[in-house]
Amino acid sequence: MILVELAVVFVLMSVVSVGGLPSVIGEIQRIVVDRQGWMAADEFVQLYAIGQAAPGPNVLIVSLIGWKIAGLPGALVSLVAMCGPAAALAWWVSGLWDRFKGTPWRAVLQRAMAPMVVGFVAAGGVVLATPGGVPDWRMWLIATASCVSMLTLKKLNPLWLLAAGGVLGAFLL
Amino acid sequence: MSEDLHQVQPPQTLRELFTGFLAIGARSFGGVMPWAHRVMVEERRWLAPADFTETIGLCQFLPGPNIGNASIVLGKRWFGLRGAIVAFLGLFALPFVWVLTLAILYKEVAENNFVKAVVIGVGAAGAGFFIATAIKLAKPLARSPAALVVIFGSLLAIAVGRISLFIVLPVALLLSVVFAYRKML
Repeated sequence: MILVELAVVFVLMSVVSVGGLPSVIGEIQRIVVDRQGWMAADEFVQLYAIGQAAPGPNVLIVSLIGWKIAGLPGALVSLVAMCGPAAALAWWVSGLWDRFKGTPWRAVLQRAMAPMVVGFVAAGGVVLATPGGVPDWRMWLIATASCVSMLTLKKLNPLWLLAAGGVLGAFLL
Repeated sequence: MSEDLHQVQPPQTLRELFTGFLAIGARSFGGVMPWAHRVMVEERRWLAPADFTETIGLCQFLPGPNIGNASIVLGKRWFGLRGAIVAFLGLFALPFVWVLTLAILYKEVAENNFVKAVVIGVGAAGAGFFIATAIKLAKPLARSPAALVVIFGSLLAIAVGRISLFIVLPVALLLSVVFAYRKML
């Protein structure tokens, strides 16, 4: 049953999403598009874009994926599956984490996590900018422009960059 | 800033907790974190700035959506299990409705090539955010060759090799912990 499959996929994603949704977006795309064939690569990018443009946590992209595949029940199941295990872990760990403040292994773990999260997040960006696995210079131009603007224009609301991406898309794509 | 500006008082009722997180979710165009800071630290003064940073730090380390985790951790701190549930629901209620509404509206026009080009352009710009975030996070790590090995190793494995995260994550974690343990990170 499709709802069970969705739940299994997102429960697994929830457990490994260290650093949040950006870390697993590449993997979600790999499973949803490449492995299960639930949608095409460019449909995935469009859902992602809608998720970015709407207010709220970017994890809501999973409810859009669920909605696309199995309607409203799919949207709810996907969101709960993606947030549930992580929330349970947050509940349990938040007490422990404070208690072990200043212990050497907590410091080791914290330092070890940092480069992994960077690699995973960067990979998420690359995967999204390369739908279907075929590099397209126009997608990369827009992604690079928004990346550079984000790093240089720190006061700018990111929504303007999304809007600019939409305008560029209208002309280029 | 004067001391009394940072007089913090946690929410007193579940209702207050709910409306606070509802306000964060409702206004979070272009990113939740800046709004979470504005509502909880600046407007309602539930938290001191340093406390906010530390809570977010833990939540970034945990799997799952950072701000979702923060709602659980803070809700638990203030009201236990009920608080965690109320804060989480408040945060997600409106964005969930809006994102689906937007998707339903989009479905009507998705066949239009112009609209499609615009939306894919927005997606590409959003992909750029990820790269920018990765670069920001990488700044303190850039001088460590060990960190660069982990960063580019996992980047290539996931984005180019298309290897499952369930293989990349344990390998990267093992490597990274060894590096960190030997003070190479």
